[in-house]
Amino acid sequence: MNAPDPSSYSLDPTNEEDAELISYFISELPERIHSLREASLAGDVENIQRIAHQLKGAAPGFGFPAIGSAARDLELAAIENTTGSIESLNAEINALINLCRSYAKES
Amino acid sequence: MLNAQAPNPGSAPMVLLIDDSKFVHRLLSTRLRSESIQIHGEYDGQAGFDYAIKNPPALIMLDLDMPVMDGFETLRKLKDHPDTKDIPVIILSGKNSPQDKVTAFELGAVDFVTKPFELTELRARVRVSLQLHTALQVLAQKAMIDGLSMLYNRALFDQRWVEEFERGLRHKHPLSLVMLDIDKFKQINDNYGHPAGDAVITGIAKIILAEVRKMDIPCRYGGEEFAIILPDTAPSDAYKICERIRTQCENTIWPNHPGRAVTISIGIAGTSGEICDSAEEWVRKADQNLYAAKAGGNNRIHLTDFTDGTNTFSQAG
Repeated sequence: MNAPDPSSYSLDPTNEEDAELISYFISELPERIHSLREASLAGDVENIQRIAHQLKGAAPGFGFPAIGSAARDLELAAIENTTGSIESLNAEINALINLCRSYAKES
Repeated sequence: MLNAQAPNPGSAPMVLLIDDSKFVHRLLSTRLRSESIQIHGEYDGQAGFDYAIKNPPALIMLDLDMPVMDGFETLRKLKDHPDTKDIPVIILSGKNSPQDKVTAFELGAVDFVTKPFELTELRARVRVSLQLHTALQVLAQKAMIDGLSMLYNRALFDQRWVEEFERGLRHKHPLSLVMLDIDKFKQINDNYGHPAGDAVITGIAKIILAEVRKMDIPCRYGGEEFAIILPDTAPSDAYKICERIRTQCENTIWPNHPGRAVTISIGIAGTSGEICDSAEEWVRKADQNLYAAKAGGNNRIHLTDFTDGTNTFSQAG
């Protein structure tokens, strides 16, 4: 799989359209963090994988390539996680949540 | 003339986006804002399919990885349905998988774009798909139109006549068929040249178009002969329309031969809804009536009403 060059997706906050996308993405982060936590508590690996998959595809386009790659790590870990246990995904889940929180706080 | 141009000229084409991610909807509607398109969004395959049946879009952007009904299954359904099979579909996918690409193209997708999107590329791909779709529609319509008269051609007549005949039979609807021929047309070609003959064909096509309604199907049947399918029209109403066409022709002054009027003969066969012969028999009856009108001295109408078996003749004006 070709990893996209993160620099090609960085947005310009002084551009009106870019700024709109950046603030929309940040405004959506608390809900994603919440869903990740809920799914993690419920041990719902399938849902974790779905949220990670969506963030992986979307984050770079909104100017957040780091979230995109943390989400990709989580998605891959979930796919490779044949035991179906949530514990083995904790490191990747926490990394993604912490990253999202840091952006959500910045705003 | 008939609609030989792209559908909905002037209005922005509608693009249907089917993706389960809110982010993708937001990203694409923002990033494609500068394109002259309208985007409608649906969040799952079934809802997207249902929407496309009701409001066929010019283009569908379809996510592969969706819960319940995934992109491939949605694509298969779209390509299986007569109302959506010709709509171009661009597949959006988070996976850059050659196997998925092959499957997508085999199922009839026109393009495959991977997420995250390279935006200039995506815009170009959307634009090309829309242009291709428009061009194909224009071509399909042109193949149904006679180049000289700009009326529908014989192939379209043969197809639509059977459809209208069956519809009339099923619902016992009124239906009339008109066969119309230019009197002594060879004389016009011989005396004033073929361009003058062509001008008469074009001119009469214009008179026909001006008199028929939107639901009617005017065709050039061949040479100097025209056919008009009049759905939901009783023979008496067909007669009135034909009488207007006949007098219009008779009264037209032709620039190439102002002193030589052009008349037409018309045969009609129709029903108010009760009985029908076969589709072929019906055409034969209208044609017989046309030749009876010619034999009666040209510039007249000969009508058969299948409902009561009566025949009506008009005298030249």
